[in-house]
Amino acid sequence: MLLSALQAGWLSSLLSRTGSTAWSLPALKTRDKGTISKTQQIITHLRKQKYNADYDLSATQGADTLAFVSLLEEKLLPVLIHTFWVDAKNYVEHTRKWYAETVPFPLNFFLPNCMHKRHVERLQLLWGDGYMEDEEKLEKELYRDARECLTLLSQRLGSQKFFFGDSPASLDALVFSRLAPLLKAKLPNGKLQQHLKSLQNLCNYCTSILSLYFPWDGGDPPAGAPRPVGAEGGEAEEEPHKRRNQLLSVVVGLAAMLAYAFLSGIVSIQRGSAGPAARQPIAMEEEEEEEEE
Amino acid sequence: MEVRMKGRPGEPGLARQQLCVCGEQLSAQASAAEPWPENAELYQQLKEEQILLSDNASSLAVQAFLQMCNLPIRVVCRANAEYMSPSGKVPFIHVGNQVVSELGPIVQFVKAKGHSLSDGLDEVQKAEMKAYMELVNNMLLTAELYLQWCDDVTVEEITHPRYGSPYPWPLNRILSYQKQWEVRRKMKAIGWAGKTLDQVLEDVDQCCQALSQRLGTQPYFFNKHPTELDALVFGHLFTILTTQLITDALSEKVKNYSNLTAFCRRIEQQYFEGQDKDGSAAVAARSAKRSLLR
Amino acid sequence: MGTVHARSLEPLPMGGPDFGALGEEAELVEVEPEAKQEILENKDVVVQHVHFDGLGRTKDDIIMYEVADVFKAKNLIDVMRKSHEAREKLLHLGIFRQVEVLIDTCQGDDALPNGLDVIFEVTELRRLTGSYNTMVGNNEGSMVLGLKFPNLFGRAEKVTFQFSYGTKETSYGLSFFKPQPGNFERNFSANLYKVTGQFPWSSLRETDRGISTELNFPVWKTNHTLKWEGVWRELGCLARTASFSVREESGHSLKSSLSHAMVIDSRNSSILPRRGALLKINQELAGYTGGDVSFLKEDFEFQLNKQLIWDSVFSASLWGGMLVPIGDKPSSIADRFYLGGPTSVRGFSMYSIGPQSEGDYLGGEAYWAGGLHLYTPLPFRPGRGGFGDLFRTHFFLNAGNLCNLDYGEGPRAHLQRLAEYIRWSYGAGIVLRLGNIARLELNYCFPMGVQSGDRICDGVQFGAGIRFL
Repeated sequence: MLLSALQAGWLSSLLSRTGSTAWSLPALKTRDKGTISKTQQIITHLRKQKYNADYDLSATQGADTLAFVSLLEEKLLPVLIHTFWVDAKNYVEHTRKWYAETVPFPLNFFLPNCMHKRHVERLQLLWGDGYMEDEEKLEKELYRDARECLTLLSQRLGSQKFFFGDSPASLDALVFSRLAPLLKAKLPNGKLQQHLKSLQNLCNYCTSILSLYFPWDGGDPPAGAPRPVGAEGGEAEEEPHKRRNQLLSVVVGLAAMLAYAFLSGIVSIQRGSAGPAARQPIAMEEEEEEEEE
Repeated sequence: MEVRMKGRPGEPGLARQQLCVCGEQLSAQASAAEPWPENAELYQQLKEEQILLSDNASSLAVQAFLQMCNLPIRVVCRANAEYMSPSGKVPFIHVGNQVVSELGPIVQFVKAKGHSLSDGLDEVQKAEMKAYMELVNNMLLTAELYLQWCDDVTVEEITHPRYGSPYPWPLNRILSYQKQWEVRRKMKAIGWAGKTLDQVLEDVDQCCQALSQRLGTQPYFFNKHPTELDALVFGHLFTILTTQLITDALSEKVKNYSNLTAFCRRIEQQYFEGQDKDGSAAVAARSAKRSLLR
Repeated sequence: MGTVHARSLEPLPMGGPDFGALGEEAELVEVEPEAKQEILENKDVVVQHVHFDGLGRTKDDIIMYEVADVFKAKNLIDVMRKSHEAREKLLHLGIFRQVEVLIDTCQGDDALPNGLDVIFEVTELRRLTGSYNTMVGNNEGSMVLGLKFPNLFGRAEKVTFQFSYGTKETSYGLSFFKPQPGNFERNFSANLYKVTGQFPWSSLRETDRGISTELNFPVWKTNHTLKWEGVWRELGCLARTASFSVREESGHSLKSSLSHAMVIDSRNSSILPRRGALLKINQELAGYTGGDVSFLKEDFEFQLNKQLIWDSVFSASLWGGMLVPIGDKPSSIADRFYLGGPTSVRGFSMYSIGPQSEGDYLGGEAYWAGGLHLYTPLPFRPGRGGFGDLFRTHFFLNAGNLCNLDYGEGPRAHLQRLAEYIRWSYGAGIVLRLGNIARLELNYCFPMGVQSGDRICDGVQFGAGIRFL
């Protein structure tokens, strides 16, 4: 049971990350090409796994799962994208910074920007072209919808431990994967975050899932998820800082190799990418989880 | 020129716009208190030759909702309804001097006027209702759009001729392709572009299954009283059931769930038949039904 | 050997790189004091050859038409005059940067004693010229790129392309122009364009994409234009606050129309004329060649100028127009007439007369407007003969009306409606001529006959316009 939930949490974290990478340039694949192909297998795997995780649910609960997943996708996800990628202050001070620090050298200059553009385009398609002009309206309607969505989740959760009683299900994994980054990221412009923090039971819910399923007692991976380190978070801590320096040197070396590979034209993008993904410790992937959207 | 003289590089007629905004807010507050007028109108595309499955479904959902609230509405068909709508989406209602489009905002607008179907629900039920409404929008509506604009046979045989029907050549082709391109880009953005028709039908089935589960043997989704969720589900399922498409695959999926079809029939009988004779919503429902018989 | 340089007889109105110098050299005829000169001046001469130096892609036949008259010259003065005319015509074609004329005595075996050669030294325009502008309008800025291919196929054809990239909208225009060889005024042009207009007085945004073909030809003293135009028009609301009447007009339409315009213009200047008259008649028939917009539109413009004592000018103008929808469909907001503004019925805001809905002006199907002006030089005439001549003071009396017609009522009722509720205004102000294209006006106006719904501009009103009442 626990295993299945853990897996679900894991998988959804991976899933959500694919969500973020899938719209980015193929260049991103250089970083975790291995992961992507694996994730795609996992997504199909997830379908089966999901039913395992939802093994205990009644048919009605299964229906509810589907409904709430839709609610998240329709109301929360676009606004999350907006919060992390389109809101200028957040993007510049948090998301881009984080990506610039994590992504290897030649890419960190344009990759965040490319992703930013993709996200803007996506939102434009969803909300129509006029939304960028009318900031006030956006604030009013879409953020209101998103806040309402959070409130609805909070109401649905009530005082329960998980959405369907005492045992976790795939819905929990999904909700967690959406909420944790919002809760833990240090956003300069955190209107939605404020609202989430005011919903005590959702916060507790996230923290309890973090401590239950992401304790990373091995110590080796610096537990990105339980102590989600944003860009600033990392600096506060001695150990991750050191770790990042190590990472950085590896990254610089890889970047040089990559650049050479590109220039000589021998190595294709995918080929060059396998390296970093393989070498990067798991921390990388965990950190990413809170970055998605 | 006059603006520049005043040394104001801002908008022309800035002052006037602000006035208008103030005016609108005032009138919004005022009209919130106003009762529902007799001459409220709902705009949609031409019923017989133009309107598409998804728009018809959304329109029927709003009509059903207003019927459930017992608010009179006159359906007006305009070829340019889509462009008249402030959000570019059909249907929209014109009440007093307010224009509101789509079911969500209409529900809120009606609520501001003191009519609500979901007041009797507790918090959890409200959350579930919202979630299920999003399920319908996310799955059924998107599936309808997919079928209309991404299934090549349907596009060629039904969508393009209908969508372009009010326009002369070559505008009919241009506008149809423009719209098709726009919808396909949207599909791409939400990850539906890569799906096959079978996968989409599978999604519809999943959605219907969830709805059917949720409905169970109750008359409405939340016990004895209809809510906006009932209106929305009715709008979509009834339209799917009664619209003649290239294949019956979509309606077959719905027909598998007998409680859903019964639900549609029940709402149709209760709110669209035996109403006033000129009830245009009833006419809409009936005309939709005719197309089923054809 | 006597050589005669005849560069120019009088300064040309057209702009060019060497015209500044030309003014001083006007009437310059260098005559070398030789015995033969006497003979040439008195005797009849024969133009034997016309040479062209510097021709590249220009085809011979088109040049031939322009210089044919030179051969007809019978004496030296005639040769010089005809050469000068030919030079003007050549420059008018818009394919040469520079044209110089050299007249020489004929040389060679077949040279007659009184034979002359006329040599045109021309510099062709480059194959491609470009321009770049930035424009700042109200609420938006744009960058305009222009490309011009003069003399594309060697017969004075011209292709121009303009692309404007704005902060809000992009628009473009591609046009092809071909004159009839030997008759530049008869020409054909085809256009392809996209333009976007924002009309805040109607809360309306209009995007037009269209193609048009045009035939221009002079008949006696008149100029005629025949035109076919196919436009895909997209109307939308400028703001969410737009009135419902404007909202109802939103959407797409396709207009295909045939139009004919006739112009007689005997004025000496189009912006601040002293004498002469202008008559413009325009008629447009839409719907018979396709599209879903059908109407017949007629309008005219008449202006008469009369010079009085002390350099003052009296001017009277009258405009009128009528739009008759054909079929059941009512006329579109984009086709109707608008009235009011600083260069039409003064004292009223831009296009803010007549039918309106919640502050958005909807235009009318019939209108008339008239104006009486007295233009005088500036008091005490500062800057006379120079900068001061760009200015005029004027006193004006304007009147006009705009309304919709009910076609069941008959013509008498129409006239009656147009005669009711006449808006009029009077006042005085200063007019500034901007080049030969537009004018600026700063007026003090007293609007009268104001009807409810009209937006007035009581007192000082400032504006620019190409067309003025």
